[in-house]
Amino acid sequence: MIRLSHVNKRYPNGHEALKDVSFELAAGEMAFISGHSGAGKSTLFKLITRIEKPTSGQIIVDNQNLSRMKPAKIPALRREIGVIFQDHKLLFDRSVFDNVALPLIVIGMPHDEIKKRVRAALSKVGLSGKENQSPITLSGGEQQRVGIARAVINRPNILLADEPTGNLDEALSDEIIDIFSDFNRVGVTVLIATHDLRQVGRLGKRTLQLNNGALVQPNPTFSGDDLTSGDHQ
Amino acid sequence: MITYLSRHLQVLFATLGDMRRTPMTSINTLLIIAITLLLPSLLYVGIKSAQSLSSNWEGRPQISIFLQKDLSDSAAELIFEEIQLHPSIELAEFITPEQALAEFRLLSDDNVSLEQELTFLGGNPLPASIVVMPDKASAKSESLMALKDQLTQFDGIDTVRLDLDWTDRFNAILLVFSRVSLLLSALLALALVLIVGNTIKLLIFNRKQEIEITKLVGGTDSFVRRPFLYYGALFGLLGALISLGLLLIAAELTHQPMSDLATLYSSDALIHRVTLSEVFALIAIGTFLGWLAARWSVAQHLRNIQPK
Repeated sequence: MIRLSHVNKRYPNGHEALKDVSFELAAGEMAFISGHSGAGKSTLFKLITRIEKPTSGQIIVDNQNLSRMKPAKIPALRREIGVIFQDHKLLFDRSVFDNVALPLIVIGMPHDEIKKRVRAALSKVGLSGKENQSPITLSGGEQQRVGIARAVINRPNILLADEPTGNLDEALSDEIIDIFSDFNRVGVTVLIATHDLRQVGRLGKRTLQLNNGALVQPNPTFSGDDLTSGDHQ
Repeated sequence: MITYLSRHLQVLFATLGDMRRTPMTSINTLLIIAITLLLPSLLYVGIKSAQSLSSNWEGRPQISIFLQKDLSDSAAELIFEEIQLHPSIELAEFITPEQALAEFRLLSDDNVSLEQELTFLGGNPLPASIVVMPDKASAKSESLMALKDQLTQFDGIDTVRLDLDWTDRFNAILLVFSRVSLLLSALLALALVLIVGNTIKLLIFNRKQEIEITKLVGGTDSFVRRPFLYYGALFGLLGALISLGLLLIAAELTHQPMSDLATLYSSDALIHRVTLSEVFALIAIGTFLGWLAARWSVAQHLRNIQPK
């Protein structure tokens, strides 16, 4: 579902955020990315959602080569990927309902259908009845869950979560990671960036470790060379 | 098609709601648009009125016919009678050299030097003349020229002078005025585009975060652009409607004095009555300029707002 081969990302200020990163995440797989802050986790997500372009290397998401993707195709890519941001990225001048509904509004879904889906998503993350509140009145954990509801509302094939348990206590963290597990169980590919090693250990899923922009334990089954050689044919 | 329409309706109502949420900004912008549209509208009405005035002009042009100096009185009388019978001529007046001199004396303010000159010339130098007024049908420029040519053929006539100066001058001034107005209107249209464009720019920056997040969740450029285009078009539309209201107030305020003036000159209404198609034209121009301004502003600023 997600394949990176020899990806480098150097920012204009000279900072090398990712160095020769190669890995593959199969459809329906769930994995963690761990690493200190600044290790390149957020950059990785920005590359997968085509917010940033790699300096070199190939990124393939759902059989689409992002390096060759035309700007007009980017919205379609982002509709396939639900992203949960560390800073939630909620609109505080809109209600919880409007925030969660946004991915459906942009695809022009009829209002009745949007209503049903938003209710279902909010109930899934345990926020039923908070539709009309402003996100600012919610706690950090609740805001995080509004972000999750928004990420999953359009039933994406891929879920990316950047530090979803950042400032939450253990019980709440477990709850949120379990929500991701549930989605993974129905076939969604999930990639979670976290430094919460407790979660990593608890679920026993594959873990990619980033250190100063490089993968510490390269995936033994995939070196990235298959992709490059295959791509040249 | 129905989803497309309902999507647009959604944006339309959302935009109206947004406008209501920031009433002061909206009212300010609308008033600026209204006044910017009102100025060219007033100029237009003014020019239209002046044009209808000049085409229904009651004072028809005169033709002055100067007879040869050495013509006998009886010969002059004969010419006068012949001219009076001409089918295109409604009225003719014979002016003897004495009458002409008397009028000249009346108009001259330095009588002493005039008398000296007359003595020097040895008598009245002025010829007899006939002033004619053509009938309504012949009062057009082209037929007047033809009439002038006919009159020049007569025996005993020295010169024929067509007194078109006044209407010509009026029409020439009107033409200059309407060109200047056109230029002014173009400048005002440009100003309107800049003003609305700037308002849209502020709106875009106010909604920077919303635009970023919308793009993050897969909103297309045209989806992000749409509300701003609606904003611009609605600003233009509502501004044009307010402008129309102000135009009506102006017409109401000037109606009584203008009709009084018209009665004095036993003429029809002096002010051009705005027609329905002109009303629609104003609304269409306002809406288009607003949309254009938004399109321009969006093209400049929206591309640079990308999720980080």
